[in-house]
Amino acid sequence: MKKKKKKREKIKKSVIRENIQLYAMMLPVFLLIIIFCYGPMFGLVIAFEDYAPGLPFFGEGVKWVGIQHFKNFIEGKYFFRLIKNTLVLSGLNLLFGFTAPILFALLIDQVKHMRYKKIAQTASYMPHFISNVVVAGMVISFIDRNGVISNMLSGLFGLPNRNWREVASAFPIIYTVTNVWKGFGFGSILYISTISSIDQNQYESARMDGANRLQQCIYITLPGIKNMIAINLIMAIGGILGANSDLILLLYTPATYEVADVIGTYTYRMGIVSGQYSYTTAAGVFMSVIGFTLTYIANRTSDKLTGYGLW
Amino acid sequence: MRKKNKIREGNPAVTVILYLMVLLICFITIYPMYYVLILSVSDPRAAATMRVYVHPEGFSLDSYKMLIKDMELWRSYLNTVIYAACNTVLMLLTTTLVAYPLTYKRLLGRKYINIFLLIPMYFGGGMIPTFLLVTKLGLYGSPLALIIPSCFSIWNIILMKAFFSTIPEGLRDAARIDGAGVIQILKSVYLPLSKPILAVIAVYTIVGVWNSWFSAAVYLPKTEWQPLQMFLRRTLVENTRQVTESLSPETMREMIKKQISGAQLKYAMIMIVTLPVLCVYPFFQKYFVKGVMLGSLKE
Repeated sequence: MKKKKKKREKIKKSVIRENIQLYAMMLPVFLLIIIFCYGPMFGLVIAFEDYAPGLPFFGEGVKWVGIQHFKNFIEGKYFFRLIKNTLVLSGLNLLFGFTAPILFALLIDQVKHMRYKKIAQTASYMPHFISNVVVAGMVISFIDRNGVISNMLSGLFGLPNRNWREVASAFPIIYTVTNVWKGFGFGSILYISTISSIDQNQYESARMDGANRLQQCIYITLPGIKNMIAINLIMAIGGILGANSDLILLLYTPATYEVADVIGTYTYRMGIVSGQYSYTTAAGVFMSVIGFTLTYIANRTSDKLTGYGLW
Repeated sequence: MRKKNKIREGNPAVTVILYLMVLLICFITIYPMYYVLILSVSDPRAAATMRVYVHPEGFSLDSYKMLIKDMELWRSYLNTVIYAACNTVLMLLTTTLVAYPLTYKRLLGRKYINIFLLIPMYFGGGMIPTFLLVTKLGLYGSPLALIIPSCFSIWNIILMKAFFSTIPEGLRDAARIDGAGVIQILKSVYLPLSKPILAVIAVYTIVGVWNSWFSAAVYLPKTEWQPLQMFLRRTLVENTRQVTESLSPETMREMIKKQISGAQLKYAMIMIVTLPVLCVYPFFQKYFVKGVMLGSLKE
């Protein structure tokens, strides 16, 4: 009896020693997470104050202004423009950027020659590895007055040679095409692998029943990737207010602000460049809340319709 | 048997059309890069017309020879290599240091640690509070601003934890009975088995750092420590830096004599920067695909 107790105590001791070692390992990273992930969350309070560099986030010297900045943002002259641009650019992205990988996966599935398929896939991921800056640099040069795309447009459609980067109405097209070009191959990886794991016997018996390619695609392949489409759609809808500002920042010019300026780029210009910290933080919070609500609604809807959701 | 094959293949005309569509898509993805390449190595006079479409017109490496003398380019290249190396080493370290302890069932408060890790995946402070915090820490303008805040990733921790959990616990228990401690088990049991996931994380980190520019735009106002992508942005996108800016007068004269256009220099610059990525890309590719797969399992 005594022996057993002693043994248990020994185990307990070793557990404690183990735990101390394990926590010691994790501690440095926990500190980083607390500082760089949780820290900025507390920094969000500056949306409700008049923050200036040198002041603390909390405590003495803070000038609380309530929801003044939110009001200024919503009543400001750029509010409508930002919402409209964000919705248009993200909407286009959702329409084409979201469907292109699915269509490409369905198309490449029809290629039964393995080597050809492999090469095509490898080529399709390539743009994902090229940096946004290089992609933007290429696009800007191609659509310049005597760039290859401007030449093509004037040759094929008789459009005047001009610097299309400065043409506001062309921006949404340029942005969407660039995004699709960059992302469709990489986005299709998961779809392709899921399709290849669909039971081949299903196709076999469908063919026996005389189903053609399109019917096989609609009745077997698409249901097979339905859940994945649902997940990606929820994520895409949640991100609809967070248009790819990285690429927009590189592609837009003051001449195209009216159609290209979105919340991310606006925050960058007003906040980082012009130093209106509290105001832009309030704008960011406003957009995040809407984004989160959208994700929630999308998730609930998907849950109801397909029985599949993130949470 | 033959009949079955016939059914499988469907209408041959449709097959041909589908194959051609795939070919067209591949052409569209590859051609822009190819165009930049052939223009950059064309004879300067042909390149100046920008009408080089199928193959290089003449051949000349003069634009590359000029850029090799551009010290600013090499400095930013070096900066990027430094950032990529530091971030990758630290990323592997920080990821392992958290993922490994979480495999211990006897770890106290494991549930709370998981919640602690999950919250930042859904909520964040956004651009401005992060910027202010980094500034308050005195990192603004310092190259450390591109290393410390980005040397860990909760996403990678979760990925690695999932990978570790596929390693049978029996292996660990056996090592423990042999008297191995926590660190020893990590070194002799877990790390040797985790090469695939370590490679995936390393590859993602390297390519991410290589291609990133935004944090440098935010935190590094001086060009001295800016990475390659910022250098490119100034030259290719913003045109705030002339492509010939840091070339010596002799090189400039040579350039004018040889009639090398600014556009051709820019294209050569794109190739110099992108070539390393495109060269390692076939080798990295499988890790990227693997990373996507592992990520999807966690969802």
